[in-house]
Amino acid sequence: MHFTWNYRTTTNLWGFLFALPAALLFVVFAAYPILQTFYFSFTEYNLAQPPQFIGLENYQTILTTPIFLDSVGFTFKYAVFTYIPTLILALILALALNSRIPLRGTLRMVNFIPVVISWVIVAVIWKLLFHLQGLINVALSQIGITPFNWLLERESAQWAIIIPSIWKETGFYMVIFLAGLQNIPGVYYEASMIDGASAWQRFRYITVPMLRPTIVLSIVVAIINGLKIFIPPFVMTQGGPAGATRVMALIIYQTAFAFNRMGRASAMAVVLFIIILILTFTQTRLYGTKTE
Amino acid sequence: MHDRRKIIRNVLFLAIVLQAFVLMIPLFYMLSTSFKLPSEVFDLPIRWIPEQLHFENYIQPLQEKPFLRWMFNSAFVATIVTILNVLTSALAGYSFAKFTYPGRDLLFGFILATFMIPLEAMIVPLFVLVKDLGWLNSYIGLIIPAGGSAFGIFMMRQHMIAMPDELMEAARIDGASEFRIFWNVVLPISQSALVSLAIFAFMWNWNSFLYPLLVASQDAYRTLPLGLASFESAYSTNYPQLMAVSFLSMLPVLILFFVLQNRFIESMALSGIKG
Repeated sequence: MHFTWNYRTTTNLWGFLFALPAALLFVVFAAYPILQTFYFSFTEYNLAQPPQFIGLENYQTILTTPIFLDSVGFTFKYAVFTYIPTLILALILALALNSRIPLRGTLRMVNFIPVVISWVIVAVIWKLLFHLQGLINVALSQIGITPFNWLLERESAQWAIIIPSIWKETGFYMVIFLAGLQNIPGVYYEASMIDGASAWQRFRYITVPMLRPTIVLSIVVAIINGLKIFIPPFVMTQGGPAGATRVMALIIYQTAFAFNRMGRASAMAVVLFIIILILTFTQTRLYGTKTE
Repeated sequence: MHDRRKIIRNVLFLAIVLQAFVLMIPLFYMLSTSFKLPSEVFDLPIRWIPEQLHFENYIQPLQEKPFLRWMFNSAFVATIVTILNVLTSALAGYSFAKFTYPGRDLLFGFILATFMIPLEAMIVPLFVLVKDLGWLNSYIGLIIPAGGSAFGIFMMRQHMIAMPDELMEAARIDGASEFRIFWNVVLPISQSALVSLAIFAFMWNWNSFLYPLLVASQDAYRTLPLGLASFESAYSTNYPQLMAVSFLSMLPVLILFFVLQNRFIESMALSGIKG
């Protein structure tokens, strides 16, 4: 097939036009705002007046006051304590629900239900569960633990954010692991059965290595998702008590829209952006820049 | 030996059924609370099936608050955004998969890079931009900025790379216009990928929170999650009503999920593998 140069140019011009709507949306609503975040971060800005350039002052403020650093600390704590159990549970569930057991389809579906429920609803339900007289305290009092107000004490309020997250997210990673397990060619297992490998050996020498890329990817995706968490503290605790559950997204939101400090909030956003950038970079290094 | 294996298998099965049951307890609790009187919520021992079912918990909030409007907003915005996401992603994915023009790879790389920019990191300028456009508290403000999906473009490109070029060439020789080729040849054979993306986008947008929170501060333009959150802070003592409304809010996506469960799970799996 041989086309003239002109014809091919016209065709490719069409190709470019096809990408244009998406490209425009990304320039206007992603690229431009992120550049502005950097610009605002060097200014004092309160919406009423135009931004005033103040150099690195915002960064100095946020990196030397404990409020922001504490929120970075809790955000990482949240990510670690949510996603380590989540991923372990998800892997166990995926292995169990990948084997030939009765009710397999139903059990997979049940585990996926929390994933499709909106975070706001999850937060509202768990707020009731953690109520002083709620189900969790009722259950705990059965084993002799005095009921207490989960959302009003620092340590327990943090767990009251972490536990629902595990409840909601496990199903999502389970599905990802299931997909990974199904991509392992069955012949590997058949061959190892003929060689007389035990179930543990099959897990150790076939499943784990073959699932490794999926696991590595999930870890990074999970950490990044953890750093962006917003709804549960927003709905359940408003960041309290005494800032114990104030995650990064929440403090950015509050600094901007409750305290009207757009510049300082932007500096916080830049810090969040850089952390996520580093993690994403790590992901592409670990996973390889695989686009096929 | 054989017996032991059988026992282990049965214990495992029981464990996993128990796990599924425990997992559903919060939802049973929610449903059960939604039919109680406020004074009965914390009665002991816990009554999982209330003596009398109080359906008024479902009716009263709908009369006092614009829940139907919020539900309409969610359905409308999520539907239009889903259509836009699928359309712009299919077009751009096709462009990146099957055409060559200067700057193509740069453009694709640029869009992929936006993948990692979290909304959380640009809420201030995004708010300012939408405000300057005069789009606060409007459907256009809720819809247009959400119209592109980096994930969608990536997914479509991956799918369309595998399409044989001969299909398009044959249509070209027959004199079909480029847009017609896209619409009548490319889209029909991409159906399964399009449906997966649509499900994903719809669920995502139905549950979307932070962006609508920036844009819609008036009741008239709130979506369901926002309405629910505002209802929660105002009425947090009336748990039965709150639970009733929560249950109503999750029903549409839940029904969609039960009807299309395999597709749902498939599209989630895709998002994880390729995200």
